[in-house]
Amino acid sequence: MLLLCQKGSCLAFNLKYICSVFLFKGSTLLSCNRHYRSQPTHGIGRFRHLLPPELSKRKRDRVRMKEIQAGSDHEYGDLNIQMTAYDMCLVEHFAQYVHKLCNRLSIRVNESYAMPTKTMEVMLVQEQGSRLYLDAVLTTHQRVVQISGLSSTFAPVLLEVIQSNQPEGVHLSVKEHTEADFKVRLKARPELEELMAQMS
Amino acid sequence: MKIKAEPRKKKKVDPRREQAQKDRMKKKIKKMEKAAQEMIPIEDFVTPFKFLDASRVREISPLSFEENERRALLLKKWALYKQKEHEAEMETLKSLMAAQQEALEELRLESEELYQAAIRRDKDLFPFEKEGPSYTPQVPGYEAPEGKCIDITKVYTQEFKNA
Repeated sequence: MLLLCQKGSCLAFNLKYICSVFLFKGSTLLSCNRHYRSQPTHGIGRFRHLLPPELSKRKRDRVRMKEIQAGSDHEYGDLNIQMTAYDMCLVEHFAQYVHKLCNRLSIRVNESYAMPTKTMEVMLVQEQGSRLYLDAVLTTHQRVVQISGLSSTFAPVLLEVIQSNQPEGVHLSVKEHTEADFKVRLKARPELEELMAQMS
Repeated sequence: MKIKAEPRKKKKVDPRREQAQKDRMKKKIKKMEKAAQEMIPIEDFVTPFKFLDASRVREISPLSFEENERRALLLKKWALYKQKEHEAEMETLKSLMAAQQEALEELRLESEELYQAAIRRDKDLFPFEKEGPSYTPQVPGYEAPEGKCIDITKVYTQEFKNA
């Protein structure tokens, strides 16, 4: 009876009844018409195993620093092009220009972000007395374009181009990316620091 | 008869209590470190409250036909000018690269050692700093008024949410 069911040949009557009786111990979803694991076309539509492993997108792993590349003898590692100015529009447009330039010259841009704005009060001494009075409130904006894989022969050329297009009032600085640069962007945790101080 | 009960009590409770306290603190630290670190929100990207009022809209005054024509033609001229500028920049870049390649090839023919040393990356290049050009040159003999700058940037802290 079992042999008949496995081959899948249909008997007129009671076939389903027979199958359900003999295959009951396996799974209730098994049916005689389905060929699985024995046919050569088993797993014909599988593709998930060919894709690269997906990183978990849990909220916990969202803010994690990317590994800093050191670079070899002929290539620079992660470089930060930092642009600082008092005028936000200028600095944003310049950052966009630098980003587009790197795209055009096929330099890999890792990230393009903004650093937190710094506000400063300028207090000047009054002419008559020695009291300080509030003159102006200045906001300093900073944008960073992070690139990597810059070849040593091309670096001075790129610097020349960026310098020649530098707008007035924008301070340019190119540095290597460090962990400290990343930590500046994160919020301070005073409670944690307190506990750590108490522990040690 | 000597009463020895009191000193014994102190011995039992103190180290255990201290140990329990330390364990609790360690647990708390671990929990806090596990929580994801938040980034400081950037004030540039947050529109101020007074600009969110949608009822205040400025009416655009109607322009004459000649004015529209003039503006359109000006835009076209500006686009052409910028295109020429961009092409010139690309040309200079290409010529720079070509000159560099030629120089390196000549150097290679001269001596292999120097060529290898030239190809290496420059350690003194970074960090690189440069000020932008200023609108006017420096005024000689200028005395800046006395005063000071106070940093009033808002300091954001991440609080531990005991959920």
